Amino acid sequence: MSENTPNSTDSGSTLALLVLRAWLGMRAVLTGVEKFSDSRTLQVPLLDAAGKPDSSGAMVEVTQKFYSLHSYHAIPDSMKDKFANEPLLPVFLTTPYYAVLGWALIALGIAVLLGIWTRASLFLMGLLYVSLTFGLILIKQDGGVSWLAIHVGLVALALTLTKYNRFALTRS
Amino acid sequence: MSSRETDAKAGGLGRRRFLKTAGAAGLTLALAPLRSAYGQTESADALNIALVGLGAQGRVLMDAMLKIPGVRFVAICDIWPYARTYGQRYLKKNGFEVRAYESHREMLEKEKDLHAVVVASPDFWHAPITNDCLRAGHHVYCEKMMSNTIEGARSMVHTMRETGKLLQIGHQRRSNPRYLVARNRLLNEAHLLGRITAANAQWNRAVSADLGWPNHTAMPAELLAKYGYSDMHQFRNLRWFKKYGGGPLSDLGAHQIDILNWFFDVSPSTVIASGGKDYYPTHEWLDNAMVIYEYKLPEGMARAFYQVQTTTSAGGGYYEQFMGTEGTLRMSENPKYTQINREAAAPPWDQWISRHLLAAAKAPAKGDDDSSANDKVDARETAELAAYYLPVVLNKAIHQPHLENFFNAVRGKGTLNCPADEAFKSEMAVFKAIEAVETRSLVTCHPSDFIA
Repeated sequence: MSENTPNSTDSGSTLALLVLRAWLGMRAVLTGVEKFSDSRTLQVPLLDAAGKPDSSGAMVEVTQKFYSLHSYHAIPDSMKDKFANEPLLPVFLTTPYYAVLGWALIALGIAVLLGIWTRASLFLMGLLYVSLTFGLILIKQDGGVSWLAIHVGLVALALTLTKYNRFALTRS
Repeated sequence: MSSRETDAKAGGLGRRRFLKTAGAAGLTLALAPLRSAYGQTESADALNIALVGLGAQGRVLMDAMLKIPGVRFVAICDIWPYARTYGQRYLKKNGFEVRAYESHREMLEKEKDLHAVVVASPDFWHAPITNDCLRAGHHVYCEKMMSNTIEGARSMVHTMRETGKLLQIGHQRRSNPRYLVARNRLLNEAHLLGRITAANAQWNRAVSADLGWPNHTAMPAELLAKYGYSDMHQFRNLRWFKKYGGGPLSDLGAHQIDILNWFFDVSPSTVIASGGKDYYPTHEWLDNAMVIYEYKLPEGMARAFYQVQTTTSAGGGYYEQFMGTEGTLRMSENPKYTQINREAAAPPWDQWISRHLLAAAKAPAKGDDDSSANDKVDARETAELAAYYLPVVLNKAIHQPHLENFFNAVRGKGTLNCPADEAFKSEMAVFKAIEAVETRSLVTCHPSDFIA
């Protein structure tokens, strides 16, 4: 058995890649989906201990999370404001970047989860995290940089294991 | 007879009595579908209302009543022609043609189809007007203070009992769902604060100039004298003069001292106080006062500090705060002043959050420069308290629920939230504080003092 043979049968490495694909894919998909989330405040009757409306007739505000295409926000506004003040992040670059970020995370996450062009998908996912790191370095968010570095490391590790890739929809 | 019995005896406005009254007043036509300014079809539950007093508070009540379905203004009363004209025009804009009177007695003689009267006159007229209205067979909503004298307030309770009519006093917080939930659910059901040992309340307002009046609207001296006023300046600034009202402890403090008594569910046992006429040269009443009440609660003594300042707005607005071994509840009619804090060693409040009685406050965003926000500067400091807020909302004017409670009771649907005998207890606590200020001594209160 050669270690360099594509689609090697090293079960440990195969499972390691599978776990990495699951984690990275899930991480990317949910991060992308969350960019379509928002919350709204509803007013509902306050209930008493018996589950009936309180005798005061009180209404309480309850916050409810929901998802919609209209709720899309690539990054928090506070961070967007900081990026807007960075000369190395011109608007003609950030505007399209914000527009595709959420969709890209979802698409790449699904691709990695299902094993669709796994190597290319992992590579693009790594580049995406590198691009995010670029912005965080400029606004001196060192904690975020470190966090993304872990992601990049895991992507790199997964790339080194692609020869053990199984349970994938495409072979490459 | 207790107020609850009075409610039952009054029976509100039964259908039979309503039809009888309506028939006598030729209301048959009026019962045909009418549309109020708010587009609501008036029903057989419609109530004919007179408003006495069209000053600032009367206008607040008028606005609140305009939003209540089934309230039909038929008459207004004010000694000031300027206010009467304003009221007639304002109500006409909102779909009500009302008759205007200078004297409430004339109004009572001529208006035979009234179901209830709302009184927002100066304090010293509350008792005479309310008593006359009750004796004329009308239910009454009267603004607080009930009277500028103990005798006046007591007479109102007695008349309520004698006539069997409803008399609601305008301590509107008692119908505010935010206050009802705080008292009934958070304190009495959840015992959220543990043992309450202290309370403080305040209403601080910045310096303000005396009220004026358009020259052409000034009333002649004879007219002012007829209704007990010395001159136009005192008429416009009556809250500051002893023969008309009770000063800031009464105007502002009465609401909040009522909350102390209502939440503690007991009247104070002693009062000490200090106050004085420190700033305004043209006023008679004190402008600043500090009061300490002692309350003998079943679980032990609790002390309550109350201050009213009319020369500074310092101290975070107006609120009533209850402090216990497990938490602190700060209530205010303004939700932005309301806050609840849990002591660090208190049991978790998660179950109350899940029942929507509480909501966790959002933690303040931490910037780069506030990393030491939680640092203590003294080792004896208590740990920073977790903050919560009351998620109950009031989507109405603050007086509207209390007026709705009154009108519902008139219709025989429920009982009053602040009947006169209940309000009398709180108002006696105000009179006791004024007595403590004036005598500069400890005033001892007996339970019998609070019974009218």
